[in-house]
Amino acid sequence: MTGPDLPQMPTPRPPPLSPMLEAELGQLARVATRRPLRQIALLVAVSLAYGAGVLAMLAMRRDVHELPMGWLAGAGLAWLLGFVVPLYLAMVPRRGAVMPRWKLAAGAALIGSLGFIALGLAIHPSGPSSATLGWEHFGRGAGCLGTGVATALVPVVGGAIFLRGALPVGSRWIAAALGAGGGSLGGLVLHLHCRVTDGLHVGLIHGGVVGVAALLSAALVPRATDVR
Amino acid sequence: MAEAKELMQRYSDGDAGAFRELYVLVAPRLLGYLLKMARERALADDLLQQTFLKVHRARGAYVRGADPLPWIYSIAHRTFIDQARKHKRAVVRVGDAEELPEVAAAITGESDDRRDDDRADPELVSATLDALAELPAQQREAVVLTKLDGKTVAEAAEIAGTTIGAMKVRAHRGYEALRKLLGKPARPPRRAAGGTP
Repeated sequence: MTGPDLPQMPTPRPPPLSPMLEAELGQLARVATRRPLRQIALLVAVSLAYGAGVLAMLAMRRDVHELPMGWLAGAGLAWLLGFVVPLYLAMVPRRGAVMPRWKLAAGAALIGSLGFIALGLAIHPSGPSSATLGWEHFGRGAGCLGTGVATALVPVVGGAIFLRGALPVGSRWIAAALGAGGGSLGGLVLHLHCRVTDGLHVGLIHGGVVGVAALLSAALVPRATDVR
Repeated sequence: MAEAKELMQRYSDGDAGAFRELYVLVAPRLLGYLLKMARERALADDLLQQTFLKVHRARGAYVRGADPLPWIYSIAHRTFIDQARKHKRAVVRVGDAEELPEVAAAITGESDDRRDDDRADPELVSATLDALAELPAQQREAVVLTKLDGKTVAEAAEIAGTTIGAMKVRAHRGYEALRKLLGKPARPPRRAAGGTP
């Protein structure tokens, strides 16, 4: 890279520590530092248990035995990956770094938010007992949206607690990734609960949960994770 | 002197002496960065204290075995940005010579107790600092980090929370603007010895 020849820049002597810092150091205690792998394992386990609890409350979809097992398991796996991968990227930094990989996390959040909508619109097999709503009843999807976002709450809040004070930069994208991961868990719960098989409903509501959770998380979570 | 990550680990374990050593190790470089960004000694001192206070409060977020310097630089970057937004000014012109730093340092950001070459030309330093102050904050930061603080483009991008491509563009535009402000012609391209035409 070419540029002007800059002179050697002077570096000042730093001032003495402020009285506030000195006071803090006077009562310095050992702190438990962040352990990203342990945190992600705990967060995934707790979130899955919570998701299972929500599903148990709502009950499994009635047409589960009529649907192609390959589609049911494949779509479930996709939702599971959509849950774990953004959370991992949002919480686990590369070796030797303190800050998580916000650029990769941002990519995962975007891919998850758009990908599940596209997949939902494209792939929606139905069985004899599946329900269809169509545009005229599209508004009834609000219940699914609420359920999905509520399911996202635990991974998002848990991630925010684990990452508090850890993100001087990139916090909004990391928060979006937490939201997208949580939204995918919500999508997994809806996948196993909701028997509506419209492309519109599955794509825009079930898939849309990911984007809505990512946006809400990006708006609210940085207050907790920013270094202040 | 111990490495930053070893000091950070001891500090996290409750060793106040390790924090002081970390301060001695990191603060000169960090203050140099903040002074070039804020252009006012009192403000840079204040930002430095705020940065270390934030590091102290967020020390539980440190990951053992990791290099804390990019994280600390990012905290300083964010502290400066917040301050600039708060006061709607990123640049404060240096009014008199007393506000210029007293101790010279190498272009790598090391303080002068680590090197034995000559001191900087004060007039050239002053002209360069004034020219830097004319740059938009993002370009100034890119030039300061990559050219003056000796960071790689990847490290600078990580600190500023942007992509490597964006940091390259900012640094390039910053260099070009700085060259015009300093009235220096572009370097002629180097001909490689024995190179093909």
